[in-house]
Amino acid sequence: MNNLTLIHHDTKLSDIVIAEPTALTVLNRFGIYLGLGDLTVARACDNLGIDKDFLATILNTYLHESYFPERILASFKAATIVDYLGQTNNYYAQFQLPNIERHFNLLISKSNPDNNNLELMLRFFHEMKQQLLARIADDRNHWFPAILQAEAKASVSPPTPLKGEYPVLNTHCTPPLQGGLGEQNKVQEPEDTIEDKLGDLISMMVIHLQGDHDSNLALAVLMALANLKKDITQNNRIRNRLLLPIYQVLSKA
Amino acid sequence: MERQVVILLHNAIEATGMQRLILDAFGITAHQANGIGELLQLPADAIDLVVTDAQHFLENLKVFLPRKARTLVVVDRPVQGDGDVNLIDIRQDTDQALAVLSQFLGEKEEENNQPNVLSGREIDVLRLVASGMINKQIADTLNISINTVLTHRKNITAKLGIKSVSGLTFYAMMNGIIDPK
Repeated sequence: MNNLTLIHHDTKLSDIVIAEPTALTVLNRFGIYLGLGDLTVARACDNLGIDKDFLATILNTYLHESYFPERILASFKAATIVDYLGQTNNYYAQFQLPNIERHFNLLISKSNPDNNNLELMLRFFHEMKQQLLARIADDRNHWFPAILQAEAKASVSPPTPLKGEYPVLNTHCTPPLQGGLGEQNKVQEPEDTIEDKLGDLISMMVIHLQGDHDSNLALAVLMALANLKKDITQNNRIRNRLLLPIYQVLSKA
Repeated sequence: MERQVVILLHNAIEATGMQRLILDAFGITAHQANGIGELLQLPADAIDLVVTDAQHFLENLKVFLPRKARTLVVVDRPVQGDGDVNLIDIRQDTDQALAVLSQFLGEKEEENNQPNVLSGREIDVLRLVASGMINKQIADTLNISINTVLTHRKNITAKLGIKSVSGLTFYAMMNGIIDPK
């Protein structure tokens, strides 16, 4: 979906953000902000004291759907990814979800009260929101603490794979991790994913919306939903292709 | 209006199987005719499709040739032909047989022009999905196979662009297919 080639140590961050502005949300969560100048991936990592391969891998995983990391090095700290995803979760809970809700309510207030389409869509949005907040709570209360605990334990007695790099698990076959630990063990018909529901909400607005409405506000809701869906999809790749394999190795330590 | 399908086959088991396949896949209750005489009593213009066998077809060419575009001849071996007669090979798997039947019983032209319009059967399936039933329960309720339920669900998702159960439920509420809770 973007014109970016793979990101390397010498890639300029400004080139990345100009080609794909959503990359700035990733950089922001690492404490890198606009006014990037000639900063490259390598120099940014030196400044932050993080591994060069790590940031390049995070950015490539986030930006390229078909990218699967060839190597997950032991120098990739699970705690850093947990911190990044924790900030991502906060962004959803404190900014993106309330922002969509505010626009939705404004859109309904300015639309024909006889038309229940938008109110039903808002109810559907609330259902998706509860599912996302439940996942965030599960991350905060269960999955992330379990990862940090496993990493702390491994730092005392590292498992064999941690001597160089993690074995790359068959992440192509790893089921999407929507929730935390609890959800992995469910043996039942798969629950609709958050991404599916967001995609459906977008389809409902684009294809099926009926009646008079404020087109500017409808556009604002649509763009906010599309941004959230894109961000969740891209960060799910970081969860599933980076953090999950690391956790699976650490938990065996 | 439901399309009219008449089945005229010597083999009663094949006739019943064909009737079931058409009901499952298209929601159409086909009529099993007892001989060519009963077919002739029905107004030709009202019949959308006749499914018959080679023996009936060859013995009654005067009946079938004028309506060959709406006749499907069941065969169980390779047949050399010029493509002028519509054939359905009962040795094919179900998907191939359904593909042939779809040419006659698929969505009508006016529905094809509105890609997000659901057929009556798809609305039945959507209503049951929205009521919380799983595929097995829907199959049992509508007396169709699970594969047919899955086919209907795939078509519903393709037409509406909605794939989650919740999304389909809210779509059903928005369109009066079920009452908003």
